[in-house]
Amino acid sequence: MTDPPPSPTLVKKGEDGVSLEKALLIQLLGSAVAISALVGLAAWARIARPTPPLDTAGLNALLAEEFPDHRPSAVWISADGAGALARDGDDVLVLWRRGDGYVARDTRWSAVAAATPQQGKLKLVLADAAPVFSVTGPLWPPQEFAV
Amino acid sequence: MKAAFDPVQMAIPFFVLAIILEIALARLGKAKANYETRDTATSLAMGLGSTIAGALLGGVIFAATLWVYEHRLFTIPMTAVWAWVVLFFAEDLPYYGFHRLAHERRFWWASHVNHHTSTHYNLSTALRQTWTGGVAGTWLLWLPLSFLGFPPAMVAIQKGISLVYQFWIHTEAVKRMPRWFEAVFNTPSHHRVHHARNARYLDANYAGILIIWDRMFGTFIPEVDEEPCRYGTVKNLGNFNLLHNVFHEWVGIGRDVLVAKSPREVLGYMFGPPGWSPDGSRDTSHMLKAKWRARVGGQAAESDR
Repeated sequence: MTDPPPSPTLVKKGEDGVSLEKALLIQLLGSAVAISALVGLAAWARIARPTPPLDTAGLNALLAEEFPDHRPSAVWISADGAGALARDGDDVLVLWRRGDGYVARDTRWSAVAAATPQQGKLKLVLADAAPVFSVTGPLWPPQEFAV
Repeated sequence: MKAAFDPVQMAIPFFVLAIILEIALARLGKAKANYETRDTATSLAMGLGSTIAGALLGGVIFAATLWVYEHRLFTIPMTAVWAWVVLFFAEDLPYYGFHRLAHERRFWWASHVNHHTSTHYNLSTALRQTWTGGVAGTWLLWLPLSFLGFPPAMVAIQKGISLVYQFWIHTEAVKRMPRWFEAVFNTPSHHRVHHARNARYLDANYAGILIIWDRMFGTFIPEVDEEPCRYGTVKNLGNFNLLHNVFHEWVGIGRDVLVAKSPREVLGYMFGPPGWSPDGSRDTSHMLKAKWRARVGGQAAESDR
């Protein structure tokens, strides 16, 4: 008696008769469940960094960390305190909240000045991101940036 | 390539329990740790995806390693204690080389950067592993071990042990280990520096298990209490998109190469240090450190007046 020809599929039987495909699927599902449980635990624990809305002192500290070589002449904090802009000549330093931290980029003043708020939101299109800022009125640029 | 005895697979339950413990202790105020939900989800999903990506390329890497082993110089017995002692050092040195390359040259940084994109430093960050490391070919650096005569399974096990060792050092819960330990081994303190984005800490502490390589090759920087580590990359990602996290630097390389004006620029964009640009308009780690030194020097001069 000869051995049966190998199966044309990738399904192979292990010693316990469970196919490798099935074992991998079980492992994958188990991992997904474990990940979900750990993420749920992290959410429940509420141990993210405290990130209160930005105020002037908080913004200055953030600017000193992220843009130590710049000396902004004017700053603007978004209505919800989750983002800020700081002007340094023709450059604008952009900060916005992501999770429990802030992301920093810079852009040209002309790009900021040309943006238009819509329904209380201002979207800035940057090279690799498009942060949205809360604004209080239709006036843009805000008076903080008036020269 | 997976050995019959896989330290990483065996350690997975320990990884899960350790993360639960770290979260619980932080929640109780007994340990320093911060977990942000989406950041944690990204880290853990990266870990799972890395396992799948590794399995997809595992056959190719296994075949290459086996081929090299068939042309080996010596036959090193897997059962000899001395062989394991030698391999402990002989595997850790290529790891240092791989890790330094993965930070200092953009092509390999593109596959490694996603391990550094978390702005947190906790045990889940350790699992934020690459999906594209196999494609980047860094596994080639371990082939000389098989050429020397270390059995591929033995090398795979030692690589696994190194990876498991590096899990526990991704934490803020441990401040400092005993001085003798800090002198010889990679520790949470040394590796916090490695994950920091502060200019003073950039491109440092590439060690796997032994910090001695950094001390020998001049890349060691100690953690100083006056300047706490801020984690992530120089330009932190603007979102939590998993695929963006995996591929953003590869996409960046592609965009730059498409607008390159000469073969030199193509090579610079691909294999120069991260942040390289033909006109110097972007910042490399070297440039950021130079600016930092100038600032610190200026401040010192001002305080001396």
